[in-house]
Amino acid sequence: MRRLVFIGMVTLALFVGLVWLGNFDQGPFLITREDQQKIVLLFGKPLLVRTEPGLALRLPFVTDVLTYDKRRLYLSTQPITAQTRDQELLVIDNYVIWRIEDPVQYRSSFPLGRSVAEAQINQVVNNDLRGVIGQRTLSEVVTTSRVDVMQAITHKSDENLRGSGIRIEDVRINRTELPAPTEENVYARMRTERERLARKERAQGEQEGRTIRAQADREAQVIVAEAKRDAEIERGQGDADATRIFAEAYSADPEFYSFVRGLEAYRKALSPKTTLVLSPSSEFFRLLDSARETKGP
Amino acid sequence: MARGPERVPSDERVRRSVRRTLANTFVLLASLAVIVAWAYFGFYELQPGQAAVVLRLGRYSETVSEPGLRWHWPPPIETHEIVNVASIEREEFGMPAPGEAEPKGKALLEAQMQTGDNNIVNLSFVVRYMVKDAFQSRYRVAEPRQTLRDAAQAAVREVVGHTPIDAVLSLKGEQIKAESGQILQRTLDAYESGLLVNGIEIQDAKAPSSVIAAFNEVLAAAQDRSRLVNEAQGYANEVLPKAHAQEAEQREQARGYRESKVAEATGAAERFRALDSEYRKAPDVTRRRLYLETMETVLPQVETVVVDPSTAHVLPYLPIGAAKPAPQASPEAKK
Repeated sequence: MRRLVFIGMVTLALFVGLVWLGNFDQGPFLITREDQQKIVLLFGKPLLVRTEPGLALRLPFVTDVLTYDKRRLYLSTQPITAQTRDQELLVIDNYVIWRIEDPVQYRSSFPLGRSVAEAQINQVVNNDLRGVIGQRTLSEVVTTSRVDVMQAITHKSDENLRGSGIRIEDVRINRTELPAPTEENVYARMRTERERLARKERAQGEQEGRTIRAQADREAQVIVAEAKRDAEIERGQGDADATRIFAEAYSADPEFYSFVRGLEAYRKALSPKTTLVLSPSSEFFRLLDSARETKGP
Repeated sequence: MARGPERVPSDERVRRSVRRTLANTFVLLASLAVIVAWAYFGFYELQPGQAAVVLRLGRYSETVSEPGLRWHWPPPIETHEIVNVASIEREEFGMPAPGEAEPKGKALLEAQMQTGDNNIVNLSFVVRYMVKDAFQSRYRVAEPRQTLRDAAQAAVREVVGHTPIDAVLSLKGEQIKAESGQILQRTLDAYESGLLVNGIEIQDAKAPSSVIAAFNEVLAAAQDRSRLVNEAQGYANEVLPKAHAQEAEQREQARGYRESKVAEATGAAERFRALDSEYRKAPDVTRRRLYLETMETVLPQVETVVVDPSTAHVLPYLPIGAAKPAPQASPEAKK
């Protein structure tokens, strides 16, 4: 019983210890973590490739273990100057997302390690970048087909590095910059464009202002003219009303009207300036005459 | 021979069995203690906002996110890695150094972008992000932060690259924010980075310093424009009420004229009717009276000459108008 427990304990401890050693690539167990891939080498020859995580067995003492990153790796390259199809120079800063797809191929391509691989990636990507950019115009690269350009570079670089166990997942232009002389040209163009806009703005202001004024003047003129028209019509109607009222009243006795109106006209028309020559036989002096006639013979 | 040792060994046997039991117990307890001690290493504490990624023999087992005291199989069977998942991280781009107004050096390079109409604009922005998948952020990408930084710049530049400068400057990037946020999230998902973009904020968008004067001139021109329009509207607001005032005057005057005309006519007509009705009662007398009354008032004001028609030929010699002053007398008349 005791022996059984003892043996069990020792076995457990041994197992745990050996597994623990496996974390340091020692012992008979090979532990590959989620972010790792491992190659087991027997006298320099790959014996076992582990790209999936988990536990595996290996021959201790005689085999070696090499560990490679399985994650997506980030590589920022130095900005490079490339020439576009329309002979413009463009400073391009990009980054690369890559991963080790085939650790055995990768190992034989870059025995000296990752820095060599990164230098190689850098060179291939820059070459492809220059190639792709050279087929496009400046505005295509910067604006219209930026995504296409990035995809084309990614595709090309991936193909070029496929044989070395590397997968290029994404090449992305994060910054484009114009060289200083071109930049000055852009600034000059921006300035003239702004000046044009400013002039246009002011001219439009004047146009709008003057239009508003002219419209106001026109409206005012029309308002006043229409008011005058209506006023004349109203006055005319007033005159008509008065004429009608007069006519209604006077046509009852036209003869008497002309008599009364005549008298009134005399009253108004005759002034001190007037010299009136009257005949004694006129209506006014009729009484005089008739008196003389009655007193006389 | 069997008896002798049989009695003595009976004590011995008891002692031996006791010793064996003790040793058994000890071994059991010791084993238990070792196992408990080993198991103790499987305990770990999880704070709120943290997640533990548990690997079993290197293979992903589970992500634990409930805080508290947790246990997994002790190492080396299972291991865990704690990742912060609740805190929102910030990455700034093209922001001027503290205490400076303009970005310089690296920040200026980050800020300077080419717009869709081949202009240059300085844009500073902030990306807020958090970990949405602890496992991916730890085991699928090597440099999540640096990857995010570069991917964010690429995304914003991609959007600004097809947006005209006026839209970049005037909208303060509402559309840029939304679109670049989507692109960045798509990119990060493609990398299996396990990061979630909470938002991109445009801090500042302005023209580069060497052309800012020209841009300000456009703003000034726009203000001039609105000033001119305002002045014109002011003029219109003055002219139109005046015209309406004149309109009202005209209409009121005309109405007054009409009404007064009607009133006068009515008055005169009524007067005539009244007179006429009286006249009809005694036409001759009234007629004569009216005539004489008129003459009475008229003749005293008038220079009256009575001439008999039979002596009408003297008329030409009468000094008509001689009594009156002759304002337009001829010079010969003065002599």
